[in-house]
Amino acid sequence: MLGVQMVQLENVMKQFDDTYVVDDLNLDIKSGEFLTLLGPSGCGKTTTLRMIAGFEKPTSGKILLNGKQVDELEPYKREVNTVFQSYSLFPHMTVFDNVAFGLKMKKVPKEEIQERVTKALKLVQLEEYGNRKPKQLSGGQQQRIAIARAIVNNPKVLLLDEPLGALDLKLRKQMQLELKHLQQTLNITFIYVTHDQEEALTMSDRIVVMNKGKIEQIGLPYEIYERPQTRFVADFIGQTNILEGTVTAINGEQATMKFADQVVEIPNTTDVTLNEEVYISVRPEKIKLSETPFEGSINLKGTFKEKIYVGSVTKIVVTMANGQDITVNESHDKIDELTNTNDVYVSWSPKNSVVLKK
Amino acid sequence: MRARTKKILFSFSLLVFLFFYIPIIFVVIFSFNDSKLGTVWTGFTLEWYGSILQNSQLISATMNSLYLAVVTTIIATILGTLAALALHRYTFIGKKSVEFLFYIPVVIPDIVVAIALLAIYGILNMSLGLNTAVPGHVAITISYVMLVVLARLSSFDNSLEEAAKDLGANEWQTFWKVTFPLIFPGILAGALLAFTISLDEFVISYFTLGPGDNTLPVLVYSMVRLGVSPEVNVLSTIIIAIMFVVVLIVGLNMRKRGDVK
Repeated sequence: MLGVQMVQLENVMKQFDDTYVVDDLNLDIKSGEFLTLLGPSGCGKTTTLRMIAGFEKPTSGKILLNGKQVDELEPYKREVNTVFQSYSLFPHMTVFDNVAFGLKMKKVPKEEIQERVTKALKLVQLEEYGNRKPKQLSGGQQQRIAIARAIVNNPKVLLLDEPLGALDLKLRKQMQLELKHLQQTLNITFIYVTHDQEEALTMSDRIVVMNKGKIEQIGLPYEIYERPQTRFVADFIGQTNILEGTVTAINGEQATMKFADQVVEIPNTTDVTLNEEVYISVRPEKIKLSETPFEGSINLKGTFKEKIYVGSVTKIVVTMANGQDITVNESHDKIDELTNTNDVYVSWSPKNSVVLKK
Repeated sequence: MRARTKKILFSFSLLVFLFFYIPIIFVVIFSFNDSKLGTVWTGFTLEWYGSILQNSQLISATMNSLYLAVVTTIIATILGTLAALALHRYTFIGKKSVEFLFYIPVVIPDIVVAIALLAIYGILNMSLGLNTAVPGHVAITISYVMLVVLARLSSFDNSLEEAAKDLGANEWQTFWKVTFPLIFPGILAGALLAFTISLDEFVISYFTLGPGDNTLPVLVYSMVRLGVSPEVNVLSTIIIAIMFVVVLIVGLNMRKRGDVK
């Protein structure tokens, strides 16, 4: 079914007081897609989700659901369901009645309710818990009930507003995969809001990076990570080193820029012009540290500043001649192999630089 | 806490407790006293319990009090709850002022309300009866209901209403299936407060009731001017017993719902 337009946002604007929290948003979401709205708090991602759900009305623009304009419809008339950040389970109802709520509102026959609720609870592995009250369950279990309560209605689109935010890291990782598998099993369109870039990269088919109410970049997870198009995206997704310089020469696919009085080779993928000020982004894991320059690599000389142990790798910070720090991911014992830490090289292949226009 | 502090606090609490309950216990004991004068214990009797059942004045005053309390409670609870919902849900210009105005009846002396109402009835040339006491009773109880329900609403998670709508419930269904059951303990507490305040209300009733109409407090007042009769003790005992049972039922009910921790 992938390919049919399920949700379309056309020039959607949302104004609160004097500021546009969502500013001219255009987005097509395909049926069966797992799409993530990713951005820092206040970027407009939750407001966008709430407009699709119907809790907020756009100031202007159109929202289409399965080809039908819905932006003026009340939430209870839309074929979408939401999993809330705080779960929002009804505390006065049992788990079973919580999950059955949507079906009861739609006047589904009793036997069918029984059957579908049981199936939904089984899907989230909580079929034994139907008679409990929500507060008798753990956070992770409440989260599953909230998911069951939404998917039992067979929505066309499931909206998830930072649903794993309150869980501890280990449970969150586990739930990420469970949600992804659930989405693949049910083949429902998921629109997922998060500020956690790792979560977005793990789960999504496509990621929409938002900043200040606008879309910065839409792409597949690896595109967002490997080929960021703006400085914001490069900086927000994962860790990176941003180097600022001036283009000194262009030669077809290749170009050079001047950084800290050294000439640095860069790929000419974004049609830079001579003397243009540009940024390049280089991920710490693409950089090597050594005492001698590497053949065919960019080699910048610097001074070892500090090492930060983070478990899987050690982050080594090297200060360049112009005072800028460059972070390198290396193995733990790498720095001990170096004899003269005042005189080291950071090296990377030119193709690992991502050129970002100012 | 240090043992000595604990001891002092305990004794102090006990004193306050006795201060509250000793007079009430005396009233209850003396309702069984076999003496017309009521101040000296002469023997046990149930005579007065029998005699108040014969007292048509007392019975009609009781009915009047209950009637006023029920009507007041219904009106004040509905209006107070609606006002609380409006104040909780919507933002509008002058909201703080409106909220403030709801606190005024709580602190304003009853006598002012009574005289104001009496003045209005005079201007409108209305004759006083049982129902002319209703507006006064509602006026002083509605704020209590509003404040209690508003307090309950402040701990209410608004996303629950969004969740209900998201699952297909319209405004009406959302209110009755989700909002109402969750704020019900607040509404019940407010209603109970309104009921007891109305039942207990003397000043407004005294001024705004018709000449032939008595409520219990008004009747008791006229009775004690001739000395505390055993019948007044009996009446008080019955009222205490009713209130005790009502509060007990509500308390147990709330505990069952898990609202009291």
